[in-house]
Amino acid sequence: MTPTTPIISPGATITAAPARLPDPLPRIPLVWGPDTYETITHQISRITEKPQPWWWWPAFLITSGLLTGGVLAATYLISTGVGVWGSNNPVNWAFDITNFVFWIGIGHAGTLISAILFLFRQKWRTSINRFSEAMTIFAVICAGVYPGIHVGRFWYAWFMFPLPNANHIFQNFRSALLWDLFAVSTYFTISLIFWYVGLIPDLATLRDRAKSRSRQVIFGLLSLGWRGSTRHWRHYEVAYLMLAGLSTPLVLSVHSVVSFDFATSILPGWHTTIFPPYFVAGAIFGGFAMVLQCMIPARAAYKLHNLVTIKHIDVMCKFLLATGSLVGYAYCMELFIAWYSGNPYEWQTFVNRAWNGDYTWAYWVMMTCNLFIPQVFWIRWCRQTPWFVLLVVTCINVGMWYERFVIIVQSLHHDFLPASWGRYYPTWVDWLQMLGDFGLFFTLTLLFIRFLPMIAMAEVKAVLPMANPHYHYLPADRYLKGEDGRYPTADHALAAAYGPPAPPRTIVPPATEPVPAFIPTPEGTGQPWGAVAEFANAQDLLHAAQAARQHGYTHLDAWTPFYVHGMKEAIGRTRSRLPLFTLAGALTGLAAAVTLQFYLMTYYYPTIVGGKEYRSWEAFVPIFFEMTVLFAGFFTLFALIGLCGLPRLFHPLDAHPTFHRSTQDGFFLTIEATDPRFDVDQTRDFLRSIGGQHVAVIER
Amino acid sequence: MPQVFPKALNPIAKVVVLGFPLLLGSAGLTGAAFYRSSYATGVDEILPQPVAFSHAHHVGQLGIDCRYCHTSVENSSSANIPPTKTCMNCHQQIWQGADMLAPVRESYRQDKPIEWNRVHNVPHYVYFNHSIHIAKGVGCVECHGRVDQVNLTKQHATLLMEWCIACHREPEKFLRPRSEVFSMTWTPAKGGVWQPEDFFHADSPEAQTLIGTPRPTTQQELGALLKEQYKVRDRVTLTNCSMCHR
Repeated sequence: MTPTTPIISPGATITAAPARLPDPLPRIPLVWGPDTYETITHQISRITEKPQPWWWWPAFLITSGLLTGGVLAATYLISTGVGVWGSNNPVNWAFDITNFVFWIGIGHAGTLISAILFLFRQKWRTSINRFSEAMTIFAVICAGVYPGIHVGRFWYAWFMFPLPNANHIFQNFRSALLWDLFAVSTYFTISLIFWYVGLIPDLATLRDRAKSRSRQVIFGLLSLGWRGSTRHWRHYEVAYLMLAGLSTPLVLSVHSVVSFDFATSILPGWHTTIFPPYFVAGAIFGGFAMVLQCMIPARAAYKLHNLVTIKHIDVMCKFLLATGSLVGYAYCMELFIAWYSGNPYEWQTFVNRAWNGDYTWAYWVMMTCNLFIPQVFWIRWCRQTPWFVLLVVTCINVGMWYERFVIIVQSLHHDFLPASWGRYYPTWVDWLQMLGDFGLFFTLTLLFIRFLPMIAMAEVKAVLPMANPHYHYLPADRYLKGEDGRYPTADHALAAAYGPPAPPRTIVPPATEPVPAFIPTPEGTGQPWGAVAEFANAQDLLHAAQAARQHGYTHLDAWTPFYVHGMKEAIGRTRSRLPLFTLAGALTGLAAAVTLQFYLMTYYYPTIVGGKEYRSWEAFVPIFFEMTVLFAGFFTLFALIGLCGLPRLFHPLDAHPTFHRSTQDGFFLTIEATDPRFDVDQTRDFLRSIGGQHVAVIER
Repeated sequence: MPQVFPKALNPIAKVVVLGFPLLLGSAGLTGAAFYRSSYATGVDEILPQPVAFSHAHHVGQLGIDCRYCHTSVENSSSANIPPTKTCMNCHQQIWQGADMLAPVRESYRQDKPIEWNRVHNVPHYVYFNHSIHIAKGVGCVECHGRVDQVNLTKQHATLLMEWCIACHREPEKFLRPRSEVFSMTWTPAKGGVWQPEDFFHADSPEAQTLIGTPRPTTQQELGALLKEQYKVRDRVTLTNCSMCHR
């Protein structure tokens, strides 16, 4: 069942490119090769079901060893005090905040891929969004370590949150550091919700494929009893859209807020308005680099060339080129403004940074890795050769770490007063803590690969040519070729080497055991629950549902491995009301944020900090936004679960011998016994008459 | 696929998932209740002491003034633990052979202080000063409770910051005339007349007009008047961080 994965070197099969490209250009499918719903399910699920390849265990040993080092370093820090780090006057922020900003930045690519590309209908994201979202979550976990430990009193970490407490004190809502906390925790929560909602159909697939009872129970609980009902899909699709909409402003806001930690201070090198866009571009840049860093080895190790194609890597490299150049522009503009502003302190900092300072080497490492090296991506070969891309993204990851190091340490070591200048020397605890972060990140990544589907199966199935009723199949010898019989571009030749896509199947695969006409369920009532029939493909099911509607049935449901367009109308349902819940959540969050901040800062415990007024509402805006998004996300999740009637761990339909295909490659129509026109024999005959297979009536 | 879960699990699973926020909330409330419980704060906990000293006997029955032993309470940040000499002022005359007082005599003989276990332990980052509270008319009883009724010394208040803040926000609810600070039984309803020692400057014209006249008998009126007389600062200043954390 393993799809063939021809390994060809880029550009090997192209003949000379034609002078004029054919119009329209043949569209290259997102998945290369003759994959079907079944092969994709099998290819992805198999990774989590079979023992891992030999290298997995040594890799896990190394990463978990590093993680242990990090845990020991943190334990030593907490038991001894922050003095074990090299941070001290004047460089009071050093490796800790460098690593924090580095990891927060890494997360941004995942959210961009999962949210912004979703809203822009960039369907190529389906192959990489699960992986990138997982990386977002792991990166934010790595970052989240630092606010917890960097003040040395871990047991007071809950002081960061505005919880009613026995001290009767609350945070200063006018502080950029508190905005940061809200931004990062909202970001983590929404990313986790988004990731989990995306996982639900795939967890159900793993449950339905599971052979062992423990896997059935674990994935059964995690998937909340998802079975691919169209009544659920219609809420699910809208919930996913809502979450994408909520995540989109987060991509832009999180690193903007992180940059405020620096930009709202008066330190030369930090006090600049270019920081928010500069940080966001850098975050997406670094994030894409890390996605490729993990994706390229995983793609090779698990032979995912047909799903994560060379085109995916190519497009991500273009993202790197664009964001890298944006970051490079910001570097140059910082220098220019330092000179143009005529501010001697600013200029001193930048001369020291780029020319004659203690950290000039770090600045040029940053410039080389982030600005100069990514320029190779103007060349196609460089974008389409995985090992070379891996090399470049490694440089970028190093460069992005140095960017934060330069901004933080270099700016701090020279401030206004020459008497307080000083250098920073990391201690072994600093190094161990930093390596520990990488250990944590890659340990989580390895566990994710081991236990969860790393590619969103349900989403990939929906973008297969066979899921598209309007896809025009050409004969194999003309596949992706122009009128002149040649491949219009090198990419067409690369894709065509994997073979043409498979058409949808026309017959229902046989059941492994005979399907009785009436299927009893455990603890059954003796009454029928309804009738069920299987169909060969999505189009057949759609037509069957329409036929059943015309016949007068109303209590219909269609069960599909992915959301089929037009199916909710075919079973007589309309648009989901879920956005109302999202709106209610957003308004609740906004009202909560307004009340919380004004009440605490102007009435409950009025304090003057930084000479600002009690009612300095401008400073409350970031948390208005964050809490709006946070509450909207929670309401969306609970509305999805509630409107779908989940969790529904037991369902009579599970007794049907082939129904487990509904989350893999099967298409089912059910007519429930609550339907006024339902009659055990007539309905069963009707389902047979419209082409249904494996027809049965299920006991309630 | 066979059925994995029993039918009865469906409603249970729904309750668990939708009850999850409730679970989190109640976990938080439990934590908050625990944090304030006498177990965590040490309220009413009786620590073992070298001598079973009874405030109820010395203060309640004999009527010894607080300042007889805690001499520095009016002038210093700390209300001192008395030296053994203070005990011996009386106990070389009475109960001089009592077994109970053996550690006191031993301490006196060897010139070594008795090692009491500390009952009221305010965190080190709080700069608490007894003298200013006494000077501004905060009675001993407000924080230490009815020590005249307590046999073995124990903590009366939680000493949590919310407890400090409650008074710093509304000091007028807790102020009393300076001459009543050491009284265990005073209430505003007892009234009485203004004494010269109720004022910082008994010879000031304002004090002169008040001395001898009846005091207000409600805490509301009395507190407002005392707050002004004693120049107790406003709520924002009193709750400023640097008031207690320096």
